[in-house]
Order: sequence, then C-alpha cells, then structure tokens
Amino acid sequence: MFSKFIPKSVPVLAAMLAWSAYGQSLNHKIDLPKDSPVGLLSADFGNSNVIARGGANQIEVNASLSLRNSSQKRIRSMTLMVYAQDGAAGGKGSVAVPTLDAAPGETFSIGIKTLLVRPLANGTPAVEVKLDGVLFDDLSFYGPDTLHSQRTMTVWELEAQRDRKYFKNLLETAGADALGKEMLASLARQGDRSRMGVQMVRGRATNVETDRELQFASLDIPESPIELSKGLARVAGNEARAPRFDIRNRSNRTVQHLEIGWLVKGQQGREFQAASVPGDVKLAPNQSGQMTQDATLRFDRPLAIESMSAFVASVEFSDGTQWVPSRSAIEQPRLRQVIEPSPEEQHLSQIYNKKGLQALIAELKKF
Amino acid sequence: MTRHTAETDLALYASGDLPVWRKLAAAWHVRGCEECRGLVETFRLDRDGLHQAADRLPEDIDWDQLSAEMTANIHVGLAAGECVTPRAPKVEVLAWWRPAAAAAGIVVLVAGAWWLNVPQSDTETIAHALQSMFTGQRGTAAQTPAQEDRGPMVRSSSAGVELVENGGRLGIEQSGLLPAMYSVSTQGSASARYVDQDTGQVTITAVYVQ
Repeated sequence: MFSKFIPKSVPVLAAMLAWSAYGQSLNHKIDLPKDSPVGLLSADFGNSNVIARGGANQIEVNASLSLRNSSQKRIRSMTLMVYAQDGAAGGKGSVAVPTLDAAPGETFSIGIKTLLVRPLANGTPAVEVKLDGVLFDDLSFYGPDTLHSQRTMTVWELEAQRDRKYFKNLLETAGADALGKEMLASLARQGDRSRMGVQMVRGRATNVETDRELQFASLDIPESPIELSKGLARVAGNEARAPRFDIRNRSNRTVQHLEIGWLVKGQQGREFQAASVPGDVKLAPNQSGQMTQDATLRFDRPLAIESMSAFVASVEFSDGTQWVPSRSAIEQPRLRQVIEPSPEEQHLSQIYNKKGLQALIAELKKF
Repeated sequence: MTRHTAETDLALYASGDLPVWRKLAAAWHVRGCEECRGLVETFRLDRDGLHQAADRLPEDIDWDQLSAEMTANIHVGLAAGECVTPRAPKVEVLAWWRPAAAAAGIVVLVAGAWWLNVPQSDTETIAHALQSMFTGQRGTAAQTPAQEDRGPMVRSSSAGVELVENGGRLGIEQSGLLPAMYSVSTQGSASARYVDQDTGQVTITAVYVQ
C-alpha cells in the first residue's frame, strides 16, 4: 500500500510545491512630481517578480531607470525612495547617487536592486519608487526630503568639493606623480580598512549579560564647532549600547544637528567605524549639552570590545549650513586610518584605478 | 578449479552456431580442457551421424510436421531442464530501495514545503532552541536571532543592508557588487556604499526604520 500511495502522491505534491514557488508579476509605480528637475525617459522592471516564500511574498525589484536632467543646473546627487505599497508597516529604502554630476539636458541611469519580504496579503504586490531629493551644484535642493536627504547629500557635496579642491591643488603644486601616489595611498587605505557587519536595534537587546561602562576616547578636531568632552556607552560581549556624549558648542553660531563617528577596537587590535550617531540638538554658542541615543549595536562576529573612540563627523547650524572636517583635519594619522573616504574620493580613486592618471586629471578639470 | 563451458555452448560451438565472442571464448577453453574437447568431439560425431541418417530417410516425410514435433519436444525438454537444474538463490541486494526512495521523496517534499511556508525567522528560532537544548548553553548575542529583539532592527554587512520590522523585511543590494563600505546609524538606518568598477559611480543604498 505504501509503494502504491507514493507514486500517485509525489507528482501531486511536487506540482503543488512548484505552483507555490511560481513567480507572480509585480505592480510598480514611479512617482516623479510634475515640476521635478528630472524626467523619466524609460523604466525597465524586466526581471522583477514576486515569489511566495516562507509564508511571505518575496518581492524582487530589478529596475533600471533612465532619467534626464530637465533643470537648468547641474545635478550633483539624487536620492530615490523605494517602498512597498501594501499599507503594512515595514520601513523604507533608498538608492542614492552622490557622484552623479549630470549637466542640464544630460541623461543618466540609476539601477535599483531591492528585495522586500512582506507578509502575504490580498492583491498583487506593488512597489513604488519616489523622488526624495535632488541636490544641485550650488547646494540648492529640490524634493520632499522625507528621508532627510538634503542634509546627507549636502554633506556629501561639501566633502566632494573639499576633496576635489585638495586633489586639484596637489596636481598643481606637486604634479601628476604626486597625485598618482596619493590615489594609490587612498586605494591602499580603502583596501586595508577593517569592516564588520553590525545590527542596530532601538532600546536594549535581549542580551542580559552583565555589562560595563566604557568611556570613549575623543578624537578632537580643533576646528570642529562642537567639542566632545566626554562619552560613555554600556558594553557587554559583542554588544555596545546607549551611547552618551557631553558636548559643547565652541562656535559662534547655533548648532541644530550633529553627527558623531563611533569607532570600535577589538582585542585583536583592529579598529573600525562601527556606526554614526546623529542627533538633533539646540546648542547656542558656548552652550554645553548632552546627546544620548537609546540604541544597541550588535556585531556579527564575536568581538571583545577593548576600546572606543568618537569624532565629530559633521555639524549643521541653525541656518541650514553645514560643517565637515577639513582635509588637513582628516589627514591626522589617527583619523586617516579609520575615517571612511568620501564618496567623491572613492569615485576619483576608482577612475584612477580603472582608467589611469590622465583620465583622473581630465575628471578633475571638469569642475 | 577450471570452470567448464556450458554443454549447450559446446554443442553450438561444435555446430559453428555460437556468436563470435562466445565462440572465441569456447575455443580458448576447449583448447586447454581435455574433457570439454571430448564433448565437442562427441557432439560433432553425433551431428555427422545425424546427417548420415538423414540421407537414409524415406522421401515422403512431412518435414513441417516433423519440425513442429521437434520444436515441441525441445520446449518440453527445456522446461524439464529448468525443473531439475539447481537454482542459485536470488540475491535481494536492492530490497530496501523502495522504502528508501519513498522516504527520501517525503523528506524532499517536507523540506520544500517548510522552506516555502515557514518564515526564516521561525526556522532560525527553532534551530537556536534546538541548539540550546543539545548543547545546554545559551547562545551568544551574535547567534541569537534578531527577532528576539523588541523593536525593529537594521543590519549592514557585506551582503548589503536590511531592515526587519513587523514581520516584514526590506533588503537592498546592488547587482553583483560587494559594498565598499557599510554602516548603521543609531537613529535607525543602515547604509551601504557601492562603487561601479568601470565608471567609478558611487551608489549608496539605505534602509530606514519608520
């Protein structure tokens, strides 16, 4: 009876299995405002699909958007927001291009490869792509800014201007060979930098091991408008939580937002940038305050945290202008080894790496 | 001990009716085996005797009827031979294959159904619980599934960025590229930076807790 049952039921069950694994089509929508400075020329969602997996819909978005700068200014960066249209909570994603530099009328493309896993729901799953922001070369901004893209893209642009100026100056004063050596050093630093996967949860995680308080070493940047006087976090095993910083505004302008870089060093001696700690503050000139975050970092690999350091990565004043560390500040040996290069430095070093010194010089002469 | 060629093969060999390969084998054996060579000689003599006898047969024989009778007799002889020849016991080497194949099929189907219908988070939790049961140890924080956390979780790694919240997950990556750097923000976002190897264009993907 057993052998009679199996041959009949196997094809039926296998067919059911195959049917449930069969991909559905995906509804998609691209939402660009009517007065958007970028126009959509074409959108290819060719390989996108929806597959039922583990009691949920696995939505794979493989899209390529062809866009055109329809404004009168050069677009330096752009952020697109991606989210599922099923009404369920689940957050948003974004795809940003910080080194775009699209001239008026120029076309460019942006690829989106996203995997969303949503609980099974009625109706065809849908994904929406929205414009969140466009930053021009004069630092003016367009967009709803739902994801605070303006702040992020302005920092990228300021860093880009700083780094391009530094490399152009190096080329003029020390020559092409010096520029080439600097690019090689940058590529070497990028290759040597330690990285570790990290999770971040709000509040305290489930780990109930006894934790200890560990003090941050402050990597002071003298020119920074904010002074980090003290920093503490609770540490247990490979978790660190609840960072707290005492800060003082030493500029003559009111600060409304700042971002602190959080560096972690394990017992193996490898130091890496674990997280950024952004915070909205209201600090008048010479005013002191405290910035705390109710968050826990958990590292993917076992890590006995030996020490932690912090530095001020960016500051936003009440008039919306931003400060980023100068090139000479980040050239300090201590910071140079751990601070991440700007997107523009990565862009330029990759051009040098792939196309050579002359291509890099041509790129630097563009603007 | 030399294994002798079957008598039927020797008879066919004597009449020159064996296929080529078997004929060669039989010839090789007969050359070195006196007993079998004697049998072959006997078969040849019998065959010659039959030919001579056939020459002496009357001319009005019904050859068709004779052929049918001989064929029937041969069948009877073969059947009788089957009855008296001792049989080698049938070796049931593959007697277990049917239940094994059925069990393997069921395992594959159950695994497939599990994979399609049970959320990965549940699988991880069950695996973690089983591991704890067998080892008797509580897992480290890194081994503990993130779903035990109370709130939403963002994660950045060499696989890209991911947000886990309210039973849903949102992950963003770039086709065929490993992130050049990745990080999280304590305000609830994770980002990964990719550099196009040909153009140098930088793309930054991020996920945000709502």
